[in-house]
Amino acid sequence: MSSISTQAVIDLIQKFHIVDTEEPLTPDSDLFSCGLDSLAMMQLMLHLERDFNVRISPAEMTRNHFASPEVLATWLSHPNRTPA
Amino acid sequence: MSRQVDVIVAGGGSAGLAAALAAARQGADTLLIERQTKLGGMGTSALVHTFCGLFHPDVSQPWAWVNPGIAQEIGQQMLERTGQAGPELMGRVYVLRQHPTLYAQIADELCAALPHLTVLSGAEWIGLRQDGDWELEVITRGSVKKLRAPALVDTTGDATGARLCDPSWCTQAEPARLYRPAYISAFHGVTGVHDDAWRLTVGAMIVRAVRDEKLPAAAMGAGFRDSPFVGETFLTLDLEAGQGDWDPFDPVKRARVEQEGRAVTLALWRLLRAEHADFKDCAPPMLPTKAGIRETARYLGDYVITGDDLASSRRFEDEIALAAWPMEKRENARGPKFRYFDQPLPPGIPARCLKREAVPGLFFAGRCLSADHEALASLRVMGTCMATGEAAGKMAVDFALRR
Ligand SMILES: Cc1cc2nc3c(=O)[nH]c(=O)nc-3n(C[C@H](O)[C@H](O)[C@H](O)COP(=O)(O)OP(=O)(O)OC[C@H]3O[C@@H](n4cnc5c(N)ncnc54)[C@H](O)[C@@H]3O)c2cc1C
Repeated sequence: MSSISTQAVIDLIQKFHIVDTEEPLTPDSDLFSCGLDSLAMMQLMLHLERDFNVRISPAEMTRNHFASPEVLATWLSHPNRTPA
Repeated sequence: MSRQVDVIVAGGGSAGLAAALAAARQGADTLLIERQTKLGGMGTSALVHTFCGLFHPDVSQPWAWVNPGIAQEIGQQMLERTGQAGPELMGRVYVLRQHPTLYAQIADELCAALPHLTVLSGAEWIGLRQDGDWELEVITRGSVKKLRAPALVDTTGDATGARLCDPSWCTQAEPARLYRPAYISAFHGVTGVHDDAWRLTVGAMIVRAVRDEKLPAAAMGAGFRDSPFVGETFLTLDLEAGQGDWDPFDPVKRARVEQEGRAVTLALWRLLRAEHADFKDCAPPMLPTKAGIRETARYLGDYVITGDDLASSRRFEDEIALAAWPMEKRENARGPKFRYFDQPLPPGIPARCLKREAVPGLFFAGRCLSADHEALASLRVMGTCMATGEAAGKMAVDFALRR
């Protein structure tokens, strides 16, 4: 499965206004302190699945996986993840 | 035949309840007009189930009531009747889980204890004239009644007095920016432990069902929060309501919001019952009397308090209550955007936000007080509405006695 870059995750978060911060997002921005709440996480999951053609199962929807753009990109690209 | 009293309070939500209690406790002959059949406004009829704005904003300290008086009294009653020891710390704020049924009961008991207070239920305020006194027309079951008083408190949430008498006394945000409505229902018989991980899992199941076209896209606005009683969980469904096309005063658009709220709520119930073990034996949810409308029209008083005033915890010489809740902005159905106070210190709310010099004898409080759109995102919470309502009730009595 193709790898997903951290920048692509950042771009997607910005494109869909998933979080609303003054400061630009960096690879290690703490998404929760940027305002990522559970409704925003649901939006993000929907867009990740649509744009990157990945599948995120309900059990995988944890705060650990969504901690920062880099953590999210690395996790989504991990070879152990089952492709869509 | 018209009825004459000292103070009329129009609208029996959190603000109006507190205003009427405050006025009647000072001995003023008081009428409280409510078009629904329960007092408590959004906190009963729309099933809004947490009291925000009751506690000091510094969460590094143990919780403390921020406004003494009726807000604290109602909060204390709610703590006792729900068997909670105190509020909960949710992120950067203290919140008190409240129960809409118990709120209605508390409101009834507090009002019934006051011989000077008469509550009119099922009575809609439809006309206003000033001829030395205020003369209100209310309609109830097809008959129009006239009510008169020197002092009037508008706690309808909609700046109804201004809209009936002179719309230049009020203002409204443009449709696309109005804080969105939401549809709240109560689910019973949901098992399991509903922690953060549970909420995220349920959220992911909803996203998957939306992607697979088993649920409408509007289901993305769904969030669950437990009541203080085991087995009961509230579903809040944030709605876009047509975004730029939303008009909270248009009954056709309101009907669409009510219908969409019900349809999506029941679609969620059906899906979760089929796919999530904790919902397996869950009865159809109890629906609210009405959808929750977060923002409509607000007054332009002698001072318009701003988001910057709140962010800088500004204090005022004529302040009548303290704000405590961050500005929780909900201009879309994708969750709130918060602006916190720069320091964890409560800002003041001046008396000038509850009146208009050129319109003596008219007072306003609750979510139609004089604030800008951003400040309203903090001041509209029920704890703060109780505090501004109480102050407006007292100001109305002072005015009526001076006359
Ligand atoms: C979806 C949603 C979620 C919310 N979540 C929270 C929360 O978690 N915590 C919190 O503290 N606050 C919350 N709020 C905000 C809070 O519920 C309201 O801002 C608050 O109830 C406003 O109080 P009020 O007394 O000014 O107006 P309302 O509660 O709206 O009460 C106004 C009353 O006036 C009556 N009325 C109006 N017009 C007339 C008329 N012409 N004649 C007779 N009666 C009339 C209405 O029937 C109503 O009972 C939420 C609001 C919504 C909509």
